[in-house]
Order: sequence, then structure tokens, then C-alpha cells
Amino acid sequence: MSTSSSLPFEEFRGEIAKAYPSKVGKKRMKSMIQATPREPREIQANVRTVPGIISQRGCTYAGCKGVVLGPTRDIVNITHGPIGCGFYSWLTRRNQTRPETPESENYMTYCFSTDMQDEHIVFGGETRLKEAIQEAYDLFHPKAIAVFSTCPVGLIGDDVHAVAREMKAKFGDCNVFGFSCEGYKGVSQSAGHHIANNQIFKHVVGTEDEAPEGEFRVNLLGEYNIGGDAFEIEELFEACGITLVSTFSGNSTVSHFARAHHADLNLVMCHRSINYLAEMMETKYGIPWMKVNFIGAAATAKALRKVGEYFGDEALKAKIEKVVAGKLTETQEYAAEVRKRTQGKTAMLFVGGSRAHHYQELFKELGMKTIAAGYEFGHRDDYEGRTVIPDITIDADTRNIEELKVERDPELYRERKTEAELEALKAKGLEIADYEGMIPDMDPEAFVIDDVSHYELEKLMEHYKPDLICAGIKEKYAVQKWGVPLKQLHNYDYGGPYAAFGGARNFYEEIDRMVGSKLWDMVTPPWLRPLEPRPVEIV
Amino acid sequence: MLLRHTSTDVAERNALTVNPAKTCQPIGAMYAALGIHGCLPHSHGSQGCCSYHRSTLTRHYKEPVMAATSSFTEGASVFGGQANLLKAIETIFSVYKPEVIAVHSTCLSETIGDDLNQIVQKARDDGKVPEGKKVIFASTPSYVGSHVTGYANMVQGIIRGLVERHAEPTGKLNIIPGWCEPADMAEIKRIALAMGADVTMFPDTSNVMNAPMTGKHEFYPRGGATLEELSRAGDAAYTIGLGKFTAGPGAEMMDKNFSTPHSLQDLPYGLAATDRYIMALKRVTGGDVPEELNTERGRLLDMMTDMHQYLHGKRVAIFGDPDLLVPLTEFLRDLDMRPVQVISGTPGKAFAKRMKELFEGRNAQVNIKNGQGADMFLLHQWMKNEPVDLLIGNSYGKYIARDEDTSFLRMGFPILDRVGHSYFPYVGYTGAMRLLEKMLGLFMDRQDRDAPEERFELAM
Amino acid sequence: MRKVAIYGKGGIGKSTTTQNTVAALGEMGKRVMVIGCDPKADSTRLLLGGLVQGTVLDTLREEGEDVELGDVMRTGFADCRCVESGGPEPGVGCAGRGIITSINLLEQLGAYEEDKQLDYAFYDVLGDVVCGGFAMPIREGKAEEIYIVVSGEMMAMYAANNICKGIRKFADAGGVRLGGLICNSRNVDNEREMIEQLAAKLGTQMVHFVPRDNIVQRAEINRKTVIDYEPDCGQADEYRTLASNIENNDMFVIPKPIEIEDLENLLVEYGMV
Repeated sequence: MSTSSSLPFEEFRGEIAKAYPSKVGKKRMKSMIQATPREPREIQANVRTVPGIISQRGCTYAGCKGVVLGPTRDIVNITHGPIGCGFYSWLTRRNQTRPETPESENYMTYCFSTDMQDEHIVFGGETRLKEAIQEAYDLFHPKAIAVFSTCPVGLIGDDVHAVAREMKAKFGDCNVFGFSCEGYKGVSQSAGHHIANNQIFKHVVGTEDEAPEGEFRVNLLGEYNIGGDAFEIEELFEACGITLVSTFSGNSTVSHFARAHHADLNLVMCHRSINYLAEMMETKYGIPWMKVNFIGAAATAKALRKVGEYFGDEALKAKIEKVVAGKLTETQEYAAEVRKRTQGKTAMLFVGGSRAHHYQELFKELGMKTIAAGYEFGHRDDYEGRTVIPDITIDADTRNIEELKVERDPELYRERKTEAELEALKAKGLEIADYEGMIPDMDPEAFVIDDVSHYELEKLMEHYKPDLICAGIKEKYAVQKWGVPLKQLHNYDYGGPYAAFGGARNFYEEIDRMVGSKLWDMVTPPWLRPLEPRPVEIV
Repeated sequence: MLLRHTSTDVAERNALTVNPAKTCQPIGAMYAALGIHGCLPHSHGSQGCCSYHRSTLTRHYKEPVMAATSSFTEGASVFGGQANLLKAIETIFSVYKPEVIAVHSTCLSETIGDDLNQIVQKARDDGKVPEGKKVIFASTPSYVGSHVTGYANMVQGIIRGLVERHAEPTGKLNIIPGWCEPADMAEIKRIALAMGADVTMFPDTSNVMNAPMTGKHEFYPRGGATLEELSRAGDAAYTIGLGKFTAGPGAEMMDKNFSTPHSLQDLPYGLAATDRYIMALKRVTGGDVPEELNTERGRLLDMMTDMHQYLHGKRVAIFGDPDLLVPLTEFLRDLDMRPVQVISGTPGKAFAKRMKELFEGRNAQVNIKNGQGADMFLLHQWMKNEPVDLLIGNSYGKYIARDEDTSFLRMGFPILDRVGHSYFPYVGYTGAMRLLEKMLGLFMDRQDRDAPEERFELAM
Repeated sequence: MRKVAIYGKGGIGKSTTTQNTVAALGEMGKRVMVIGCDPKADSTRLLLGGLVQGTVLDTLREEGEDVELGDVMRTGFADCRCVESGGPEPGVGCAGRGIITSINLLEQLGAYEEDKQLDYAFYDVLGDVVCGGFAMPIREGKAEEIYIVVSGEMMAMYAANNICKGIRKFADAGGVRLGGLICNSRNVDNEREMIEQLAAKLGTQMVHFVPRDNIVQRAEINRKTVIDYEPDCGQADEYRTLASNIENNDMFVIPKPIEIEDLENLLVEYGMV
């Protein structure tokens, strides 16, 4: 974007507002700001999408079953509802997993559903659900069975939790729990994340006593192992001597979750989808949490060093430095090579609840400029930082989601760091129990747009002609018809991993390919171009 | 093993579906609506439905799929979705300016009992539908039938909302294609035109779901049946429906509402079904079959006889939708292949009946199951007990194919991991040739892979 | 064929009124079908001489897609056809959805087709229009005329007004109209005048005032309508008058629901003064 020649932000906003019915336009304006606007930087987020707007957003069920619970391999996830919801969330998020042995449990390749029929809606579906749980148990004898409610289940009032309790008691050796994650429960997937966090915390975390071996034990929260990202991070931790107790939830098992309370630090990647769990674990078990980002080479190095700083162990720090020294330079050298071709190019990111922020790191490393970004299901704190949380208006949709009352566990609570120690770490720049959000990291001129509509996206392209857009599958081909490449940051288009050092390298390579390709220039056929002075002949 | 928990013992299951061979109604309605030019499909339910359908259709067609949603939250679920749909209609016409909005319901709006007819009428009365623009609708509860039913229901919604009868007959032929690829629809139309018919086809997703790259995103691509064509479809002389499940109810409705006589045929996969399609066309046009089609048929038969040696006796398992499975099974049968296991999640006794008829008087052992309990888990178990040489179905079949080391041909919906299906037809004689080429390639590649060195052959 | 739906507050006597009216129409030689839209499936008990076996939804559940009209339709008093939608036990599932499903099925099975030569289809609907499913009978192409059973009690009148709101909503899209109020007397003071006044305010009429008579209960204990049980009694004639008023009715309106204060004023005016 050459800011001098292109449409100023206020004019752009004005044009957008005019296209909508006036009330809709007014509402949308509050979700569009500049990173350093003339007015206060409050952005409207996590509010209802206006009906009729073509939005990127999905539903509560998608956030719960699809995002948070999807990547755990040894839970039999039963969707209680008509067939569609289970079908669409079957293997479509590219969560990878690596069972310990060829015999170890892995149900991620399966789709389980009660496939409700008209008669179950009319007469109630509880009997059907019980029977389905029984059949799943008889077939597989899994460690855990989870039940996910879809829209009609909430309407007809099936009590999935009562059914789960009954079946759990009946089996004795299988943890059965339910999620009231009906699609209509919230304004986006975000509500589903919260519901998922609550139930995992209530039913799984802290249920296994056996403590994993290791001196520096951490959990990695909000990393879903799409395209193998978690594998990259796992490898890095191992090289540094950091013990990963559990990832929530990439490449995870029920046992990982159940022992997560033994960790001494929670590292939060996707703040939006998992901060609830981090907070609850801190209250109940005394595990501090810290925001980190393993997207981008420099960010990865920074995150590792922060872990070293937190544990304050010199040997650990030295080991981390050794790992970083080897990888960081090598990755940065490669970035420098690619940067020759990517320097000054522009990108827009409209995706997720943290990726639109994290991936700006990688573009910075390629000398590219993020000219607009926004989340699909973020809240104000993901944009403006956690300091705004007390100011966020609690609306009816938010109140709809249960807030668990968590107390210090009389036996399992263990103070890892004193208040003073945590303060000292914060002073050193560690984001302890904090997240500063996307906006402070952005160019002051850049646009920040929450829950971007398809119309707005196309208008952004028309006026600011980015070299690359990052979004999801629904936007991909529409954007590319304009001759602008689109990188999917939900599922990476069969690609990845993009996390940590190895991932960063993959990403540089991918962006190099995308913005460098001459394919996009072939749109205009020769007969629509100015005539060559002489006909082209081969010799 | 990717499906390591699938055992050989087939246990009776009553309530648990594992690895479904179907999905829900609304996605079919959305696909059918995309076959109307200038149409924006609209999902009356919570956002996730629309998002899931758009994602799945996009992953299959590799094309933009534009559709809006009523974005239900808890309030709408309790108080009814009228306010949301009215707001949506207003917003859509203001921002996205379609010629027609095609609303379909979801399990959510169906359960609370929203009456689309009443709400749409209110939108008209309140002046939210601009002059000359249309809003049509179809009821598509997800807990009845399958995606196949949703397609059929939206076809009927199109007829109810857009087709009219005037005094002047057009003498045209309506073709209602069942659910198939945009390239298949184009091929179905090409054959009819070659037969000399003057055709109105709906839905028609060709040039919509396989649109060219032009440097501009056409929000409403060039293809699709136009409102003008549709408004005259009631004056046509005849209607041919292709596919009992997806096109049948629509073809019957044309007959009932507009007294245009109809013929119902299979989707023309394979030689015999294409023959029947052409005979149906011939009955309408009365003309001779042109040389072009004769030649294509001859080529196909030539290929069938040439390849017979390699195909005959091959055991095949198939899963998918009834309107594909019936003619495809017939084609395999005619090639002297052995379709031995057939699964469709879509309910309907008519399917099992048709399938049984295909093997009447033939000494064939065929496992056929559809509706409740007919899922890919069961199919996989059957395959473990009685292995096959080839599995045909959508992309989810690849997990079974890899575990069982079975050749795998992608056909049906959705195909999420390959490109091409939307561009090259499988219907008609040339489409059947493509199918043969693919199958033969799979068998021969396998033979080449598995043959000991001394038996590795060059020439057929 | 005239398609009629009877609505009214729960317990007001809808089913009894409907069945007696249907019996009277049957006696007049009309061919009538009654579709009970209440999960309790007791809308045809008096016409059939007992509770029906095999509601639409039960049959659908057992037979799957092979349901035939004969499986769900019985013939009762005066050759009237009786269908019960049925539905879930209290507290589970979705009764509203049940009504939608069963009416769709009846349409598919051709219950309303011309060859059945019906003069009337009566829908007897549970209680108020509590959710979308209970509005199914007044959607387009279904019931065209509505009668609301009401009494002089506050809550019954309140419910009638609410039902008018529902009718108004659907009147624009479909052809549904209000045919009138049926007063099923509870011996409230000035009841007739009050309901006549309510009808006038709603823009409709009171089609008939059915007095209270214990014969109705006696007939019910014997699983019969009054017309069947004691055809010569005065109450039977009341139902005959109601039936002929419906038969001859030509006043079909889109009702104008009134404000709650107006309703209360009405009660003060007639009830307490």
C-alpha cells in the first residue's frame, strides 16, 4: 500500500458504510479502526454478525468439537445431532497426530454421530444417545467418550450431561463427559472454545496422579498441531531439555490432559481459544501462565529464552542458547535470501483469534508489510491487550457461557513462584498472565478490522491491492480470482509446518513461491494486450 | 493403520453412525441454488451451517462459494428467526445485489418451526425485496433424508418460486439434472443440444462451479439458469429428470404444476444409462441420433471390448449417493466387473429395489445397504471380510484404501484432495471413456507395482 | 374442502367442542376428517369410542418410510376420518416438530386429495400457539379458517387474543382467516355479552354460545359425543346449531388483536360491575 496515493482510511470506511443498510453500516464502523487512530483505539469485537453478511465465522460447535477437542486422538468424540455437523468436522482441520505405537488408540480418523432423525427430535434423543455411547464403548473400549450437542439438541432439551454421568458410572473405566456447545450458543467459534475449556478442566485435568519426569515441565496451550506445528515445537523443547507435559490439544491424549496439573508453567500460544484454561489452572493448581509465540524465527528464540528466564536455571539457559544459536542464524540467513524478493510487498491477514497477529512476525522477517489485519472470532483483549478486560461490556451472548467458579485445590495447589518473583519476571519483559494484543505490534497506519465481511475484503483488495492475503478456504478462490494469492492460515493448504525454526523456513519458501510466481500475470491473453510490433515467431 | 480400530467382526449397531456415507440436507440445497444465475444461497440457521457448507463445497469445487446466513444466536432460537431473516434479506439486497435469494432451512430453524413462506411474504410486504428480485425457499431439515434430499427440495423450491406458465408454449425441453459435477451438467446439455433439443436446464452449475480465471471475481459467475429462462420453463413441451432421488421430485412437480409431461431417467453414467438418456431425448425431439454421438458410443464400446480382459471379474466396493450408484453399478456389471459391496447413507427403499433389479437373474453375490446403519465403517468391515480390487467413492475412502491396500477411484461428493472432477465429465459416452481410462490405469499401475521382475511386462 | 383449525387455551374444551361439532356435521351428511394435533392423542376419542392406537408419529417410528394412509387413519362416528398426530411424553423431545412432521406426512400420503371427497378437515390443536410447530396448521395451504374456543375467564380470553396475533402473522402469507369465537360457557357473569364484545373488538363474531351442561361429561365417560350418546337432548342441538353456524359462516377476517389494557377493561366492564 502506498499510503500517499491510496484511499485514506476514513474515506474507505465511509464507502463501506454506504453500501450497507444504515444501521448495519453504523455497526460495522465500530469494528474498523486504524492501529493508531485519531480517536481512542477501542475496537468492537466478539459481537453478533449482522444476518445476511457473508462472514468468515463458524459456530460454537465448530469451536468446541472442531478446534479444541478435535486434535486429541484417544477420545471417542460423538456428535449428538443430525449427521451434518459430525461430517463437516471430520478430518477437515488437518490436525496431525502421532500415536506412540501402531496399536495405540487413534480415533481422529473416525467420525461418530448419533445421526438424529425426525423421530428423535420429536420424541427426544436421550435414549438414542445412551445407546450410541454404549455401542461405542462395546466396539472400542476407549478411555474417554465425549458428547457434543448440536443446535436441535438444545432446543428439544436432551440432557447430555445426565446421560454422560449415567454412562460413566455404568462403565467404571471410561470417562464420559458432555459439551453443551449448540451452534447458536455464541456469536462465533469463540463461545465453543470457552465451553470446551470448562469441560476439559472439570472432567479431565488433574485426574491422573502420576507426575511426568523432568526438571522443567511445561504445558503448551492453544497449539493444535495443524500441519505438524506441534511436532516442530516438541522437537525444540526436547533439544532444550524442556519437558512437555501436555499440549492443549495438538498431538495430545487424555492422559496428557489428566497430568497437566504437574507442569510448572503454562505457555499460551492461541490466547483466544485457551486463556480460560490457563487462568483456571493457575487458580486451582498454582501454575503461572505466560503468553508466547512460536511463529517466526525471532519470536521462537524469544519464546524459548523467556522459558529459560522463567525457570532461571543457568544450565537450561545455556542449552537454549545453544539451540537458538544453531537454528536462528541459519533461519535468518535463509530469510535474508528470500527477502531480496519479498521486501516491501504487502499482506493482509484475516483469520482466527491469534494467527492474524502471530503471522505478522513471519512477514516482518521477510520485509513485508501487514497493511490490514483482523480476527474472525477474537475479543477486544486479543486486539488491545488484556488491560481492557475490565472495560469489556458483558452482553447477553457472553453471559450465556458458563463461568466456572474455581478455587485453590487444597491438596494439589502448589505455589511455583511468589508474587514478587512473578513481578520481577514481568519486569524483564515476560508476558506473565498477560497478552498485549495485536495492535501494539502493528504499523500505525495499518487497518484493523474485526469479523471482516466478504464485501469489505473485496473492497480492501480493490483499493489497496495487497500482494498476498492470509485467510481461509471460503475466501481463498474468490481472492485468487482477482489475481492475488491467498495463503490459508487455518489449514495451511496441505502445507506446513510453519511453527518454530523449521516451520519459519517452510513459510518463507511458501511466500517466496506465492508472491514471486508469474502465473498471475498470464491472465490477459495476448490478443487482449497491445499488439507486438512484429508477430512472434519461433526460430 | 489409519482406521486401526475397525474390526472384522460386524456387530449390530442401532444408534451409532461411524464414518457416514452421507451428509445433511442444507448443503444439497446450497449446491442446487448455485445453479441459478445471479442467485445467492442463504442458510436460515446458525452461522456454522453456512460456514461448513461453504467450506465443504469450496474444498470440493475449488471455486468461491458465496452464501449468507441468518446468524442465529440464542435469542433467535427462542423467539423465532423472523427478525434475522428479514434483516438478512434487507442486507443481502443492499450489499450483494443478487437477482434471487434462495433460502433453505436448517435443523435449528425447522425445530423451532419457522415458516419460510410466511417470513418471505412478510419481507415482500415490508418492501424488503426490490422490484423484479426474487426470494425463493426450501424446507431442508437436516434430520430427514440426506444432502441428496436437500438438492431435490431446493429444485422444487426453484420450481415453486421461479417457474411460471404463460399462454404461449415454447416447445422447449426442460432438463433437471440430478446432483453431478458442473462438467457433467455441461455434457448432459451438450448431448441434448446435439440431439437437436432446445434446452432449459436447471439447476446448471457449469460456468459457476468451474468458472475461469479472469483476473476478476465474478460474484455471480456467467453460468446458471437465468430467471428469464426459468419463468418460461412452465411453457416447455417436456421435462426430463435425471436421477430419481435428486431430480425425480422436481420432474414430477413440473408435470403436476404445469402439465409438462416428464420422463425420469438415471444420470447418464455408463453406456446403458447414456443410451436411455438419448432415447428419452429422441422421443422428445423425434430426430435421428447425430453421427457425433454414434461415433462417441462406438468409441466407448471399442474401449470396453479392448479393456474387457483387464476389467472382467474385478471385485468392486462402492459408496456414495443413489443417483450415482445405480447407473455406475450397472456400468460395472455390464463390463463384467463384480460390484460386490454397495453402501449409501441416503435412505429410500427405491434404491435397494433398483439395485436388486440390476442383478436379477444373475448369479451375483452383492451386499447392498442404504439408510440407517449404512456407513463407511460397515463397508470397511465388509471389505476386510471379503477383499475387493477397487474401492470407488469420495475422498474419505482413501483411509480405507490405504489400510487395505486397495486401488481407489475418487467419484462422488466430496472430493477434497484432488483436482479435475469439476472440469472433466464422467457422464455420457466420453465420460464413461474417462472412467474406463482411470480404472484401467489403477489396475495396471498396481500390476506393475506388484509384479515380480520376471513378470514385469511392457506391451498389453 | 374447508380446512378448519380449532385453537384455544388448554383445558377450555377444544377437543370436546370439536368432536361434537364434527359429529353434528357428520350427521348432516358431511364427510369430515379430524386431525388431532396434541401429543396426548385424545382429540378423536369420542368419535372412535376410545383412544386411537397408532398415531402418525408412532407409526412413522415403527414403519419407517412404508407408512400408508390406512395405517394412521381410522373411521369413527358418522363415517368421519380420524387421525392423531401423537407426540412425545411430557418433558422430552419436541411436540411442535411432531405436528410439522405428521402434517407433512399426511400431505405426502394424499390425505387431502380430491379423491377423498372431503367436505371438511378439522385440526384440533393443543393449547396456545406456543411455538412454531403449533402454528403448522395455520400455515399456507393448511387450515384456512380458525375458530377459537374461549370462555369468560381472563386467561382464556388472554389466550384467544394471543392466538389472534398468531393468525395475523400468517394471514399475510397464506389465506388463513379467523371464522369466529366459540364460547364454551363456564357460567361466568355476563359471559355471552362479554365474549360478543371481545369478538367485536377483535373484528370477528361469536359463532355460537355453547351453554354448560353435565350431559357432556356423562357422554365423555362413555367415550361418546353428546350427539352420539343422547341425540335428543338440548345440548346436542346446541352443537348442531354450532355446526350449522360454521357450515353457513361467511365472515372470515384477519383479526385485530387488542392491547392487554383493553382486555382488562373489558373484564372490569362486564365481569366486576
